[in-house]
Amino acid sequence: MQLDTSFSPIDRLRRMRETRLGSFVPVLLALASIWVYFGLALPLWDFWSDPDAGSIRFIFLSPRNIYNLFMQSAVIATLAVGITVVLLLGEIDLSAAATAGVCAALLGVLVLAGIPGWAACLIVMAVGVIMGAAQGLLIAYVGIPSFVVTLAGLLGYQGLMQKILPTGNLNIGDPFVRAIARILIPDLWGLVMAGLLVLAIAALALRRQAERKARGLELDTNATLWGQVAFFAIIVFAAVLTMNAYRSVPLLIILLTGVTAIVGWVSTSTPFGRSIFAVGGNAESARRVGMNVRRIRVVAFGIVGLLAAIGGIFGASRYGSVSYTAFAGGSLLLESIGAAVIGGTSLFGGRGSVWNAILGALVIGSLGNGLDLSGASAADKLMFSGAILLLAVAIDALSRPAGNGAR
Amino acid sequence: MSLENNQQVGPSAPPPHLRVAGIEKRFGGVHALKGVDFEVARGEVMALVGDNGAGKSTLMKVLAGALVSDGGAFFIDEEPVVISNPHDAGALGIQIVYQDLALCENLDVAANLSLGAEPVKSGWPFLPRFLRPLDDLEMEVRAKAAIDRLQVRTLRSVRAKVGGLSGGQRQAIAIARAVGAECSVVMLDEPTAALGVAQTRQVLDVVKRLRDTGHAVVYISHNMRDIFEVSDRICVLRHGANVATWKTSETTADEIVVAMTAGLDSGTNNAA
Repeated sequence: MQLDTSFSPIDRLRRMRETRLGSFVPVLLALASIWVYFGLALPLWDFWSDPDAGSIRFIFLSPRNIYNLFMQSAVIATLAVGITVVLLLGEIDLSAAATAGVCAALLGVLVLAGIPGWAACLIVMAVGVIMGAAQGLLIAYVGIPSFVVTLAGLLGYQGLMQKILPTGNLNIGDPFVRAIARILIPDLWGLVMAGLLVLAIAALALRRQAERKARGLELDTNATLWGQVAFFAIIVFAAVLTMNAYRSVPLLIILLTGVTAIVGWVSTSTPFGRSIFAVGGNAESARRVGMNVRRIRVVAFGIVGLLAAIGGIFGASRYGSVSYTAFAGGSLLLESIGAAVIGGTSLFGGRGSVWNAILGALVIGSLGNGLDLSGASAADKLMFSGAILLLAVAIDALSRPAGNGAR
Repeated sequence: MSLENNQQVGPSAPPPHLRVAGIEKRFGGVHALKGVDFEVARGEVMALVGDNGAGKSTLMKVLAGALVSDGGAFFIDEEPVVISNPHDAGALGIQIVYQDLALCENLDVAANLSLGAEPVKSGWPFLPRFLRPLDDLEMEVRAKAAIDRLQVRTLRSVRAKVGGLSGGQRQAIAIARAVGAECSVVMLDEPTAALGVAQTRQVLDVVKRLRDTGHAVVYISHNMRDIFEVSDRICVLRHGANVATWKTSETTADEIVVAMTAGLDSGTNNAA
């Protein structure tokens, strides 16, 4: 009983995915291999195979490209964070991109009508919540599967967006909205914020360890403790330094991190978040201990709606315009669901994390960006994305505990 | 047909903690419980046995408030009470551990034990309760206390995911969850049905611990060996009615099996 002797590769995968840091490993490996391939392998190959080339050009790994990569992935990441919340419940939302499109279009129309940018943002966020929660009500109280409800939502909201934007395109010049993507945090401030963040994380980890000791609970090993802090510090500083090397940290990225931190905190550290995981893991169990499963579903879909609206605002701000193809009609939906799943969130509910969704969005973004840079066709891009998604879901299926196999 | 046989236990039985009398339950045309009497005392394991369809599960669900009875009276310490939903049963200290356990395999032991009643940190009055930070250290302390109370020794960590635990450990955790919620009556539905020898041993030890800590335990099982090892009294149902209640020390497995399958009258006839 004390020792499990079975250590097949799949068991190891399973064990690793159960730990907090371990769940990052597959998606980080995917990200690293994509970056190594496009950033190092391809340029070196070009250099060696072409005798006329004067020097190696590391375009993909240049700070400029990484900066653009972060910005390009921001909208996908916002939607993916929302979709992760419903995936944790074991549901799916196919309408997130269309909701984002409707909200962005509405934002454009509102600021054109003279409503101040901040008010317009608040209004479309409320509209997003309503659009999401309405679908949640149909799913939870009428009992229609989320796949069908949100498929209907996808179609309906696409039509709604076309109604709001008859021309299919609208420029947004509102300074408040544009500022979200344009404002850059000064280099020094960015570093100071990163430093404070790391210090705060380290202080929290130490305080927790002290409390555990005081209460006589089992302790994390020092390696785990400092490993987590170091891991976090490396990621934060690497991101900030890279973006500083090109321009500076954009406000958009700070906002995205903040939104993700809030959703992440709610999902892991509050009774509500615990109830999301419980419903995703075993809805019957959640019902028996007195959780209101239906209300939890509705709220979760409201959260997706809110994040879709925020994604719409981010997108409108970054592109400076709203177009049908950039949101509802394009590949945004599949990319954001793909990002959530590649991040390691289970399609079967109950396992995953919103932070992984951001890494998943970076994987999807890097793949598109790298294939663009190497001159691949749209057809290649689609096929590569499909393969990566399939790989991610395969890892998910293999790393599920065996007992769940029948469900 | 069978009420008079209860004197096989008679006045020497301990005073009941939970007692029900004349419970009726119909599902459409099916008369599932025909005036069943049942009782269990504190510090006692009462086995509830019967063939498939005898009404064991129905009776247990009525006691847990999951089904509403069509007639009959409920008493806690001889005070009449009403049980019409699971909340009533919970408030009276009656907890049930269903056969499927209903644990969240994706959560750890501590989270499962406090599911639905998570402790939150003090000092966040401006947030609604469901958004206050979880006190997961308190959760672990409580979980450890609950596990220690039941002496589940094989469990290494309350931070282990339930998905990775053995069947016996899961059963113990499901029991610990029921017991944690201020309960006096614990009903266990086939707790050893899917377990191997060592796992069964572990669960039976937990059941004995429950008895020793003054709980009233209702133990439903088909396994005569387990029943005779752990129970103090055995109540036999057949076709939705009482056959009889025996003291475990004064009967044999053969007698119980005959009572389960053929009823008492034909059983005694056969023996004669």
